[in-house]
Amino acid sequence: MPDLYALLQAAADGATASYRDFPVIGSRAAVWIAAQVHLMFAAFVLGVPMFAVITELIGIVARDSKYDKLSKEFTRLLVFAYSATALWGAVLVFFLTTLYPRFWTHMTEIFGPSMWVYVGLFFVESFTLYLYYYGWDRWNVGRAKWGHWGLGLLLNVWGTAVMIIANGWLTYMMSPPEGATVAGLPDGVSTWNAIANATWMPINIHRLIANAVFGGSIVAGYAAYRFLAARTDEERAHYDWMGYVGNFIAISTFIVLPFAGYYLGREIYEYNQQMGITMMGGFMSWLWIVQAVLIGVLFLAANYYLWIGMGRIPGAERFMPYTKWMLLILIIGWLVWATPHTMIASRAEMAAMGGSHHPFLGILGVMSAKNTAVNFMILTTFLSFLLYRRANKEPTVSWAQTGTLIEGAMFAVSAGVVLFYGIYGYFVEAIVRIGFSVYQVGAVLACIIGVTVIDIALLRGAKSRGAIRWGQMPERSQYALFVLAVTFTWLMGLMGFARSGIRQHWHVWEIVRDTSASAATPALGYAAWVISACVLIFLSLVAFIFWLGGLAERAVAKGTTIPVPVPATGRGH
Amino acid sequence: MLATNLKVLAVALLTIGFYALVANTIPQLESEVPENLALGSDVTAEQLVEAGERVYQGAGGCTACHGLGTRAPNLLTDHAGEGAIGSRCGSRESDKDCKAYLYESLTDPGAYVVDGFESIMPDMRRQLPEDQIWATVAFLQSQGGEVTVTGADLPADEEGGQADAASAPQRSATTDPLQLLSENACLGCHAIDGAGPPIGPSFDAIGARISADRIRRGIIDPDSEIAQGFDAMAGVMPKIFGDQLSAAQLEVLVAFLAGRR
Repeated sequence: MPDLYALLQAAADGATASYRDFPVIGSRAAVWIAAQVHLMFAAFVLGVPMFAVITELIGIVARDSKYDKLSKEFTRLLVFAYSATALWGAVLVFFLTTLYPRFWTHMTEIFGPSMWVYVGLFFVESFTLYLYYYGWDRWNVGRAKWGHWGLGLLLNVWGTAVMIIANGWLTYMMSPPEGATVAGLPDGVSTWNAIANATWMPINIHRLIANAVFGGSIVAGYAAYRFLAARTDEERAHYDWMGYVGNFIAISTFIVLPFAGYYLGREIYEYNQQMGITMMGGFMSWLWIVQAVLIGVLFLAANYYLWIGMGRIPGAERFMPYTKWMLLILIIGWLVWATPHTMIASRAEMAAMGGSHHPFLGILGVMSAKNTAVNFMILTTFLSFLLYRRANKEPTVSWAQTGTLIEGAMFAVSAGVVLFYGIYGYFVEAIVRIGFSVYQVGAVLACIIGVTVIDIALLRGAKSRGAIRWGQMPERSQYALFVLAVTFTWLMGLMGFARSGIRQHWHVWEIVRDTSASAATPALGYAAWVISACVLIFLSLVAFIFWLGGLAERAVAKGTTIPVPVPATGRGH
Repeated sequence: MLATNLKVLAVALLTIGFYALVANTIPQLESEVPENLALGSDVTAEQLVEAGERVYQGAGGCTACHGLGTRAPNLLTDHAGEGAIGSRCGSRESDKDCKAYLYESLTDPGAYVVDGFESIMPDMRRQLPEDQIWATVAFLQSQGGEVTVTGADLPADEEGGQADAASAPQRSATTDPLQLLSENACLGCHAIDGAGPPIGPSFDAIGARISADRIRRGIIDPDSEIAQGFDAMAGVMPKIFGDQLSAAQLEVLVAFLAGRR
């Protein structure tokens, strides 16, 4: 402890040292782990409030207490995770000030006032969260309930404000404004210019969506564990439903994420061509193959969970024969997506391949094939959701058959457009081909939106073939939710490495150079071990926090009953 | 419950382990830090010359033009009977000694252009930090002359004299392909409309010979694929254009060249 104090004091005194060492793992790994684990908790505590207010609103409008209970349970997870976020944030700041004092001085020189605002907002956010959670039962009816919901809304506003301020700091490191130097900002360039830099807004949007994805997947993982640990059918039914909702949020928001990713990528290229090339075609090119492997697992696990879930829905058996074909599309799509294309290859490797691309795999590794594959995977997953939703419903509207035919036609047209431009892309130049991805994505989005609108109208007042037997879910389905939660967490770590690694040997791109012994950006193998360590630390702490939450819940809830979504008798396996 | 906990743990560890395994199975590429010359104020003339030679032969891309005898004056050998650069640099401009002239040539190359040559040289502050520019001056002086560059000429900052973004010249924003070809000195090596040196492949009918994709790759990573018949020139083209051109400029250039059929 005295050592830590001495280091902090030295940093505060403006010590001239640029770097200090951290024992065993080194300064870079120490800051990397602290930053990544902090971000994982931060993403969770920013993502969960989004759907906590939405489910609370549904509960208020539909007067259905099970949504209110679900929302409260989301928020309870938040209270415990919030302190972990703050703790890891403090660890990160201490590490930065003590291990990278010179870099930290540069950042405070530019962003000092915004850091004070950040701290202020953090206070406001904390107290809003405590009011929101602890006032739940007190402000639970009438106008007071709406006031309580307003607190949830405010919680999201403060959380988003905190996030976008911090995003300003980290995006400044990637894309500092013109004229910035090691000494700071020139005349005429304000702190606001440094915050609102070229990659700030794309990161804001990307993180906002990703937080919802991440929060949903962790909540689903939590529900899966509670499902497996449940002692009563009521509990099992509740957590089965909660797992479904969490997974639905994660996957439905995840489908939008690539579009935000494209926007971010484009802005990176626009800001600095070299940074973009490093990211997509330079030493990081293999990272996207690893990403494709992870996303393939996400698609497979999410669909698998839905298909198993159809086993507890009366009427779903009529759709089950289609699942094997959907599985085939997903696997083929996954293989194509994970095919390498433009890689850094030695002359010997190029000679062995007969060119810079593999004679066979090179054909599948191009963007025409990859975009086609991923769009088919998105369409297939959407179809899974649609069949799941329709499983126990019998439309009663007069235009049901026509509506279903139109939906089918929309799928066919969308798939046709994707396939046409996928093949046509091989016969045009790259500059033209790049534009085709817009048509492919547009066709898929139009299909998703169009079919959803028709389906909502079509199933209004639909006859039920029987209630969903919540709780009658085989245990293996819950392990699919764990795989999803772990994969989303690992993916977050991988993308964090990509975003940070493209700066290479710069703390702040072309402004503050990393002159430390570990300035070289490590290879993916080393990065994978650090990411895995971050994931393990995060998941272990989350498990501990949830266990603590369970202890508190058992103490409070003795003798109370849980509102549940139609419990089923017995367990299905 | 213990069995469930163990199963959950096993699923988590297996999933994490699978991803770590995949990431460790693929080729391991590390992004190296560019060599830091670490030239301090007490640097000797020999150290400066040695560092300058590395810049001249490597990161500076100087050999792309100088030494071929067609695009730019020879520096290391005799030029027009005046000897190597170190022996003639002091007499180029009346008001500048050798050191000042060479520094000007690297940082404001258009200020004085040797008779018989075009003004195609880029301002080297775009790609080299100040201390590497001074090291290059020292190396050139050493080619037949006296090295007068000292540690006092080097910038004193701790970053080893990284290029100062504020003082470095800004990139041209033009999207006129011909202007881009001229500004980036492409025509110093590549012929167009039947005229120009044959150091690199001609731009005439280049769109019929190779795809736009390959043209783009050739600009960004010139050594990724060497054109037939130009093996001897491998490594000559500077690898700076990915950084020097904006995305829009690169695409304009690729489209222009791909359209020359």
